[in-house]
Amino acid sequence: MKAIKIQLWYGLLGLGILLGLITAYRVFTTGFVLYAKTDILVWTMPIAAYVFFSLTSSGLAFVSSIPVVFGVKRYQALEKRTVFLEIAVLFAAFTCLFLHLGSPWNVYYYLFSPNFASPLWWLGMLYGLYLIVILLSFRKIQAGNVSRGLGIFTFIIAIATSTALGWLFGLPDARPVFSATFLAMYLPLTGFASALAAVIVFSLGYHHFAQNPLSEEDKNLYEDLSKVFGFVVALTLVFFIWRTIVGGASATAVEFGGFRHMLGSGWYHLALWVGLIIPLAMIAAPSVRQAGWGKVTSAVLFLVGMFAGRLEMVLSGLVMPTGPKAEGQPPFVSYWPTIWEVFVFVFALAVLLLVYTIGERHFKLSETPE
Amino acid sequence: MPKYAMVIDLQRCVGCGACSIACRNENNVSEGIYWSNKITETSGTFPNVRFHYLPTLCNHCSNPPCARGCPTKAMHKLDNGITMHDPDKCIGCRYCMYNCPYEVIYFNWENPHKFWKDGRPVINGGTSSPKEVAQTVNGGNGTPYSNPERAQTLPENRSKGIVEKCTFCDHRINVGKIPYCAVACPADARVFGDLEKPDSKVNELLGKYKPYRLKERLGTQPNVYYIRSFNPAHYKPTKGGV
Repeated sequence: MKAIKIQLWYGLLGLGILLGLITAYRVFTTGFVLYAKTDILVWTMPIAAYVFFSLTSSGLAFVSSIPVVFGVKRYQALEKRTVFLEIAVLFAAFTCLFLHLGSPWNVYYYLFSPNFASPLWWLGMLYGLYLIVILLSFRKIQAGNVSRGLGIFTFIIAIATSTALGWLFGLPDARPVFSATFLAMYLPLTGFASALAAVIVFSLGYHHFAQNPLSEEDKNLYEDLSKVFGFVVALTLVFFIWRTIVGGASATAVEFGGFRHMLGSGWYHLALWVGLIIPLAMIAAPSVRQAGWGKVTSAVLFLVGMFAGRLEMVLSGLVMPTGPKAEGQPPFVSYWPTIWEVFVFVFALAVLLLVYTIGERHFKLSETPE
Repeated sequence: MPKYAMVIDLQRCVGCGACSIACRNENNVSEGIYWSNKITETSGTFPNVRFHYLPTLCNHCSNPPCARGCPTKAMHKLDNGITMHDPDKCIGCRYCMYNCPYEVIYFNWENPHKFWKDGRPVINGGTSSPKEVAQTVNGGNGTPYSNPERAQTLPENRSKGIVEKCTFCDHRINVGKIPYCAVACPADARVFGDLEKPDSKVNELLGKYKPYRLKERLGTQPNVYYIRSFNPAHYKPTKGGV
């Protein structure tokens, strides 16, 4: 029975990957007209998914640094799974990026024609380095010990990647809705929150599906983790509200029009209500927080809302046409992803889950390294 | 080393769009892509209403946000001030489009000149298909009216997955000519020249009139200047008292 379930699971993941490969073939033969992109909406769901996954991976590095860098030893039990998740989630991010780029085979020019003034160049190099370091870290952990040096290095790179993403979005002065200084704080914070949610979902998911009951020590650890998660979600809500006030209610510049428009969108309300207020209310209630289903549901809702929030953030700087491209356009353009864009996300998720499943089955992610 | 710039005299510009058509022909620009474009707006309420027309193109900024953000230097500055694009290095990230405050960079979402790849005749059994027509002229590469001179510094037709934009007709400048939009303008509203030459026509016009550039507050230092404006309307002098 168990073997059939595993085969079904692999079959499902295989289907997701097949859909992704078909999408890749169609996108690179037919073109990006398959996406709901226009000359105005140059970045859409694939880049939002990339931001979502890459920040979650950076946030996982923050979680894995709690025992290694800051010496909080009771979190050591999460270390192996967290570091492996960093790798799996980063592969999902790279999948989205691959299907966002028009000519990904030219990326070798990152090495032969580097532009040190470009945040995108730094981000590409840093994420490349990040992948190498976390692979090395996991190799060490698999051998049974944790390298503090690699842990510190990973922590520093994770800060660099998540803040550099703020620089990337905030570079154009013509799009003040993306404030680099604000995003350099907001993105690492929300990445950390997403990572905590991911650790809760994957760890408790493992205990549930492996029918491996939680020990008293584990219960205390996850209770502790969900309190930290609740605190970070509350902080995220504070930043989210300030962003709304500054960019939506009090800003007068026309460039904020796109964000003001997005305040009425489903993506914004999904991020606010489903992603922040409902999970926070759930965590604030002790009976819900202490229950396994309460922890997992609040974490899943947060991740769903955070994904919508990433999309809302990307769109808010783009939905208002300007200059010659505003000719013949409405004041704000609308966006709904095509099935191909949804397949990109499905592809990335399938890659993540397949890599994670392989790790869970072959690398004993529940082991605690020394 | 020259530093090229363009002055657009809005008193002379009649808004005919010849610049845009000439640009398409010279640079083999595909449908949906506009190296030469315009901003139009209507102000007032009928009968007190006016139509404004502002021709636009790449501003070839001295401090270009597009080139600053490009990770592989596909978008780069030439010594003569032209902001140029190298399609071989372009990864298709569209970060230049995101960074350009003037919205003058376009992405090839699909293969260019799609119409000329259509194998269906307009009238079955009566006419050739667009594909057959293109095939007879230049082996099916782009359009039947494709300009081979464009291929001197860029691919004659750009492929899908990369961006493209105005190059000030760099292939013409290299052989001592001026951009084709300036040649085609029937009203001589576009004046092209070298800012490094004190006696050039562009310097004369910039000194004679009060020029302005688009979104100067952003510090991008565009090299496309606008002078004067055309308005034949008049009104009876009045203090406007109530």
